[in-house]
Amino acid sequence: MKKAQPWIGLLARLILGGVLLVAGYLKAFTPDKSMMAVRAYEILPIWLANTLGIVLPWLEIGAGLLLIIGVGIRFAALFGSILMVLFIVAIAQAWARGLSIDCGCFGGGGTIDPSQTKYLEEILRDTGLALLGLYLLRYPLTKFALEKNKSHEQTPSQGE
Amino acid sequence: MSSKAPKGSDNVTRNLVIGMVALVVAVGAIFSVISNKENTSAALPSSVSQDDGYGIVFNGDLTGVPVVDIWEDFQCPVCARFEQTNGDYIEKLIEEKKAKVVFHTLSFLGPESSLAANAAACASDENKFLGFHRAFYQNLPAENSGAITTDYLVALGQGVGITSDKFKSCVANLDYKGWVNNVAASGGESNVNSTPTVFVNGKEIRRATSGADLGDYFDPAAFAKAVEGK
Repeated sequence: MKKAQPWIGLLARLILGGVLLVAGYLKAFTPDKSMMAVRAYEILPIWLANTLGIVLPWLEIGAGLLLIIGVGIRFAALFGSILMVLFIVAIAQAWARGLSIDCGCFGGGGTIDPSQTKYLEEILRDTGLALLGLYLLRYPLTKFALEKNKSHEQTPSQGE
Repeated sequence: MSSKAPKGSDNVTRNLVIGMVALVVAVGAIFSVISNKENTSAALPSSVSQDDGYGIVFNGDLTGVPVVDIWEDFQCPVCARFEQTNGDYIEKLIEEKKAKVVFHTLSFLGPESSLAANAAACASDENKFLGFHRAFYQNLPAENSGAITTDYLVALGQGVGITSDKFKSCVANLDYKGWVNNVAASGGESNVNSTPTVFVNGKEIRRATSGADLGDYFDPAAFAKAVEGK
């Protein structure tokens, strides 16, 4: 199990980082749509939703890059996990309030036909991603990470 | 984990990577924010009112009539369906001066939506917006398939009787690109989260709640009732 840990960590990094990078990339260049997706949750005041719609995709790209390259893993993993938990809360409240929206996770978003909502799938997927982030938070020592000296958190015997 | 690796250089690489990623994020986000800001010096087509969210206004001088704001994206198939359902009625409202109608052409579905919105503004300068609008939806090409080009839009204009060189150059040079962005920004401020979205006197008409329900959008009688309030 000890030996497998860094490999599981690598997998977690690539999945969470890859999803964040792709999700950010798909939205970053269609800001109108992305802003609309955030507004459709009907949680935030409009100006804040619009700002978030523009800025969030770039933050996802940043966190995704850090995870894939393997720098600042714990920070990026924490950011990813918090983000996923926020997404789950947002989707769940939309579901509970009977809104008909697409999560807009990978572009798209906004109000859709009630028959096309996929709240449960979206929540399960984000739960999985949040767990990957938490795993990395607990075990940030992974294979092929650019940043090696974070390992002291796992192996204090090596000394710093 | 080679403990021999000089820690200093590892830290330099780490900080360099973090710095570069932060730069990408900051530049991308700032550039996006700036390019989405309303540009008050953008050229506006005729019959556009900044007070009406940069929409193309019909019967703007009327008072005491319902105000119908229609938010749409030229590439949206549901908007084409809305036009087919209520287009005749809306044109009649305009002709008979029974309502003030404002068309807001959004462009969130992709670059080809911007091309179409720009061309519609060019058509508005020729007093042919409604004809262009109708002809466009009747021939709606597949979304972002590359079908909507300058030639396509100019030919569509010719089909509804726009032959001027000014229209051609307006379409080809994207004369109203800045205005298209302003309409998009104004859609964000008006909390328009899908297309079509129709407001009558500032209040959204009833959207369908299930597959079988047509709502006010796709039932001509219900739509007329929502507009006229009877």
